[in-house]
Amino acid sequence: MQEFTNDPIDINLLPQFQEVPLNGLSPKYWKIVVINMGIFIAVTTIGIIFLLLFNAEIKKYTGLIIGAYLFLMVLMFLLYRADVNRRGFAVREKDIIYRHGLIAISTTIIPFSRIQHIALDEGLFSRMYQLGQLRIFTAGGNSGSLHIPGIEIEEARQIKELLMRQISLQD
Amino acid sequence: MDQDFSKPQKQSATGVIIMFANNLQKVIRAVALPLIFIVLKSKGNYGIELILGISFLFLLLLAIYAWFSYQQFSFFLDEDKQEFVINEGIFNKSTLTIQLNKIQQVNINQSLLQQIIGVYSLDIDTAGSEKKEASIKAIDHLTATRLKQRLLSERDPITATVAVATPKPMLKLSNATLLKVGITSNYGASILLLMGFIFGLIQFFKDYTALFEVETTEIYAELSQGFGFISICFFIGFALIVVLGTNIIRTFIRYFQFQIIRQTGALAISSGLLTRKNTLLTPKKVQLSAYSQNYFQKKLGILNIKVKQAAYGTADEEESKKSHIEIPGCNELERQDILKMIYDQIPQKGKALIPNYRFLFLQIMLKIVGPSVLSCFFAFSVYQPLQPYLALLIPYAILVLILLYFEYKHHRLYASQGFIIKKSGIWDITEEIIEIHKIQAITSKQYFWHKKADVGHLLLHTAAGVIHFKYGNYSQINNLVNYWLYQLERTKKDWI
Repeated sequence: MQEFTNDPIDINLLPQFQEVPLNGLSPKYWKIVVINMGIFIAVTTIGIIFLLLFNAEIKKYTGLIIGAYLFLMVLMFLLYRADVNRRGFAVREKDIIYRHGLIAISTTIIPFSRIQHIALDEGLFSRMYQLGQLRIFTAGGNSGSLHIPGIEIEEARQIKELLMRQISLQD
Repeated sequence: MDQDFSKPQKQSATGVIIMFANNLQKVIRAVALPLIFIVLKSKGNYGIELILGISFLFLLLLAIYAWFSYQQFSFFLDEDKQEFVINEGIFNKSTLTIQLNKIQQVNINQSLLQQIIGVYSLDIDTAGSEKKEASIKAIDHLTATRLKQRLLSERDPITATVAVATPKPMLKLSNATLLKVGITSNYGASILLLMGFIFGLIQFFKDYTALFEVETTEIYAELSQGFGFISICFFIGFALIVVLGTNIIRTFIRYFQFQIIRQTGALAISSGLLTRKNTLLTPKKVQLSAYSQNYFQKKLGILNIKVKQAAYGTADEEESKKSHIEIPGCNELERQDILKMIYDQIPQKGKALIPNYRFLFLQIMLKIVGPSVLSCFFAFSVYQPLQPYLALLIPYAILVLILLYFEYKHHRLYASQGFIIKKSGIWDITEEIIEIHKIQAITSKQYFWHKKADVGHLLLHTAAGVIHFKYGNYSQINNLVNYWLYQLERTKKDWI
């Protein structure tokens, strides 16, 4: 029989997940967000221009519509900026932590022993900037899995390797 | 008693009928709607003889098809390779091979038609996500039980021997208990069913009046005249009886002769009036168990247990539904027995986490203040005739307030050594139990305006769904998260 101990534990001495310093996403990720936003703005702008050109009734409100549109776009820009800045992740000895969210800040922790599989995605724009998205799945379904975008591709590969090693170690 | 399964053998001869019925059902499902459409459109241009003729030809073809599929279907047990093999198919022949050690469970079921003919179906569940599920549709009971024993004997010789001598069931529900369960549970589902039925009736009524050009205005006038207080009371009473009736019937169909038999390392559960359903409850696979009880059930001393086995990721939606087991009408002792069987002990409630009063605040805003303000605004500025009805807002507010208060009062989280219990509910009070090592991931969440108040939320992701505790003390939650992570990462116990 292995050595067995059952000492009382002081919860305050346990590692505190909320005090772990988190790595922010790569600054380059913001550029991708801007590109995506740019595409969205371009499409909606064309739509609004067409609407204003061909619909005489709405023309009266041109100033109002453009004002509201500009306001919404600026708001979207600021919200995305704040959202990207708040995201962060950290890999501990036995688990991975990811924090995200703007209005509600959520921190999700997945122990290595519960990871089912890992995917590393590279999108069209992320490849241009050598970034990748790590997706970590558990048996907890969609809600229990992590999607961490905007990690330097080299770092993402290393993390993936590390996690894979940890998983195989567990078995 | 040994029966030779090593040579390929066919199903019971009556299997032809089952195959025929199955194919017929499939075809009817596929073509019924377009067919009805065509018949209605043609408005009898073709004459009834043609339709009958085609149908007859069609049935004949199906019968021939069924005969050949019966002829081609065979199964045998390959002793050397330790495999169970099923051959089937007329044009596309397929061979299904199942390794004996991959077999998870073998169920013997009987549908209504199978009951009439006197045959059983034998379904084999295999491990893992591969969707290779084998099924023999017509087999007599003796062969089925022997085959089941042989299939399972490789995996676990003890189970097979136990299965021979049917042991005394650990739990058996009497008809009286079922009646109690039927009267006291599932109001929601039955009311929905009833509403569907009533809407169907109304639709039918409308179609009827349109068809025969009855003066609808007359009928409606008569209806509104006769719709006095007494008739409303009568209607409510009638609805109540129908709801209770459907409840009782549903309960009997699902849980007739419900029994649990203890096997080595598992509980075998079987129930059902029209089709007998067998499921196997393996304690190791249990991810979450819950029991619920409402006020009436408390007085009658019964409770409903729900056990969820590993579902997500391992299989599809249908599969996960099947792995949820409901045990209705237990008493307190039986509950303890079942929990002891699953967890080796009775989970104790630890210290309770109580949600902050803010739990009520947002809900009151959304469900009372918001609607009230909106309807007042609507009544005063848009549609004046609504004003006399504004008084109804008061009983509405009181009712919702009472419901919210009960929801708040029942929303609790108990953390103890090894277990987490979450209590919730308004009328049906549910307690969900999970073991710490069944947690897949943990999320703690906080709205930024709750930072000062130290209020936050907790989500425990398991393979059988999420446990959500709202508006707790955030530092307390974080402490617990750290403790659970410590337990989770230290334990050697696997979640499945």
